[in-house]
Amino acid sequence: MCPSNQYQKVYVQGAAAISAFGMDWRGLGAAITANKITLSPARQLADSHGSVFGSEVAAIPAAIDVDARACKLMSYPARLNAVALRQVLYDTGWESARDEIAFYLGVGASGGSVAELTEMLRASIVDQTFTLDRFGTAGLAACNPLFAFQLMNNFTLCHGAIVHGIGGPNSAFYSRGNGTVAALSEAMHVVASGECGRALAGGADSALHPVTWAQLCRDGYVDQGFIPGEGAGLLALSRESTHALAELSRCEFHSAITLRAGAARLLSDIFQDFKPNVDDRVLFSAWGEPSREMLLHACNESGVSTVIDIAACLGDALAAAPALAWVAALDLVVTGNASRALVLNAGIDGGLGCVVLRRVV
Amino acid sequence: MSARPVFVHGVGAVTALGLSWRESIAPLAAGASAIVPVTEFDVAHFPCTVAAPIRDFKHQGDRRIALACAASEEAWTAAAIAFDDSQQKKIGIFMGAESGRAPFATVHALTRAAGGKAAFDHAKFGKQARVLAEHCDASQTSPAAVTSLLAKRYGATGPAVTISLACSSGASAVAEAARSIRLGICDVALCGGVGADVDPLMLAGFGRIGALSGRGISCPFDARRDGFVVGEGAAMIVLSADRGTAVVELAGEGRSLDAYNLTAPDPDGDGATRAMRAALVAAKIDAVDYVQAHGTSTPLNDAVEAMALRRVFGTHLYKSHVSSVKGALGHWIAGAGALGLLCAHEALMTGTLFPTANLTNPDRDCDLPHVLGGAIKKTVNTALVNAFAFGGANCSLVLRRCA
Repeated sequence: MCPSNQYQKVYVQGAAAISAFGMDWRGLGAAITANKITLSPARQLADSHGSVFGSEVAAIPAAIDVDARACKLMSYPARLNAVALRQVLYDTGWESARDEIAFYLGVGASGGSVAELTEMLRASIVDQTFTLDRFGTAGLAACNPLFAFQLMNNFTLCHGAIVHGIGGPNSAFYSRGNGTVAALSEAMHVVASGECGRALAGGADSALHPVTWAQLCRDGYVDQGFIPGEGAGLLALSRESTHALAELSRCEFHSAITLRAGAARLLSDIFQDFKPNVDDRVLFSAWGEPSREMLLHACNESGVSTVIDIAACLGDALAAAPALAWVAALDLVVTGNASRALVLNAGIDGGLGCVVLRRVV
Repeated sequence: MSARPVFVHGVGAVTALGLSWRESIAPLAAGASAIVPVTEFDVAHFPCTVAAPIRDFKHQGDRRIALACAASEEAWTAAAIAFDDSQQKKIGIFMGAESGRAPFATVHALTRAAGGKAAFDHAKFGKQARVLAEHCDASQTSPAAVTSLLAKRYGATGPAVTISLACSSGASAVAEAARSIRLGICDVALCGGVGADVDPLMLAGFGRIGALSGRGISCPFDARRDGFVVGEGAAMIVLSADRGTAVVELAGEGRSLDAYNLTAPDPDGDGATRAMRAALVAAKIDAVDYVQAHGTSTPLNDAVEAMALRRVFGTHLYKSHVSSVKGALGHWIAGAGALGLLCAHEALMTGTLFPTANLTNPDRDCDLPHVLGGAIKKTVNTALVNAFAFGGANCSLVLRRCA
């Protein structure tokens, strides 16, 4: 999908991953490969859903967290993104002219704080009855004045941009997987074409929100092996090869309709194009058994015997899932554990994403 | 690379002034306003008690989907693009849609699920939420549901992208569609935006931050303006790489982030300026004949946008005309930028420049060449559309009459 022959190459200059592994991206790929990240009972679902095993981000250290005021105003995914943004800017050393940096993010709908909702609703109830009249007065007064912004998907992107001064071309792609790949694709295009010198792309989300979890249960994903995860992952892109960590050589996304029309052929084409060697690694982030089986089958058909299953360790972090997989792949490339890494993602939106990172020669 | 041009082949809309774009044009040109007291639910103590609801629109299921489908049908029919099988593979769908919020009915049900008494019972909430979810299909309420349904309906096997960028969602979706056509990722794109936010939660949420008009009037750039009024509707556009019979070209797109504040625009208008300049540079022009402004009727936004327009165009601005459709139809949030594009398209097609409804006393801080009262007629060869979102995400689009 990228007319790469007419573009300049795009390189990864830095990364960030906020995940159950921790606040650093380096070592993520190795930890996943070694199966060192384990699932645990999710604190965020404990009150409402009891013991649900998932992949949950630990407490964010104050040194890298947003300030208390921003923390109160932000949705949790926005906070994860803001922390990831801080980390990737530190990683790249991109201190100057941040208003020129492009920013494309896959975002989800898991924003609103249940605590805020609790306060708003509690104040709206009189004599055991909820009333709109009361909601319009005491209910509104009880909640965070910017509660509406916690619910709007774009604030996952915008809030971080405000905190860190990112001001270039941008978009927030609603994502349950594929939208995040669309975000990376857009970032790749603006950099490759020279429209922007630098771009950030990734995703931030949480599947550990009580309402999101209820919906995932309802839609049957949990029964089919969906493991909830959360986090934020970002790649920093530019055309500069100096000090580059890897080359982003391919990024494409295919809609659910395309996939339904011929997943086997599409995956076959991807593997034929990729031509995996012994030094290459294939990683995939698939939401549950059906998509995992589809990708495993394609790998087997292509002679790839070893695959790294990101979701088995990090769960499915919805809009963040592909981005965390890219960063894990980057870690493998940077540490010499892979010459190239093919990352396939199959989120619950039914689409397919394909990203290739390769060692800079 | 030599990017392909992008042409506008058809537009469609459902608005509070007409159930099609064709029906909406005459009242918009006459300066009508669809803003009325909200009677759909009790707003007695809400900060704002008016909106621009679409009352004659009959539908089943999710309102956004129904609105978007109706607008798409009009746009697609107007475009009259013929396809063979091979071309069908290259249709893309690009939709600006916000959500993340539960519809009010869901929230109401959740309160009952959580006990409905003085205490909020989390355990009961969790247990009942699953039961509630049985009746609340996430695949229908998700922002992506609109995109998915349109992709299926139009056999689109190209990109199916949902942009959730608040008030610039629709314009950004158009920008993404144009980029995909320029790059050859798709040949035809159905794009636009939809907003259906005449809902207690949204009126409450926007009211809580003081963004809505307490006076109950949407009067962009007027000295009386005190906030925006929520509207609803869908505006859709069919873009193509082939010129065919198209009269209008989408010539440039520009985007930026204010990186300034959650609720207020950058007082220097820097982000807005950068978005407009980027769009003009992409279109290789430095002046336009008409601007369909974001013009929300909020005190800060309108003044900052006016300042940014003066900075971008200098004295050339006063050879053009500026208006905002939000006086007539309120603020569609995710659909706003796409609606703005339709207004600019009408200006290019027929030379009809819609007035800013309710603008009778222009604010001195909003010194612009306004269109007051009724529509004016003039030849328009170039137009700019602005969409600036809460959170500071800006998108500008440039339209040009084909040579």
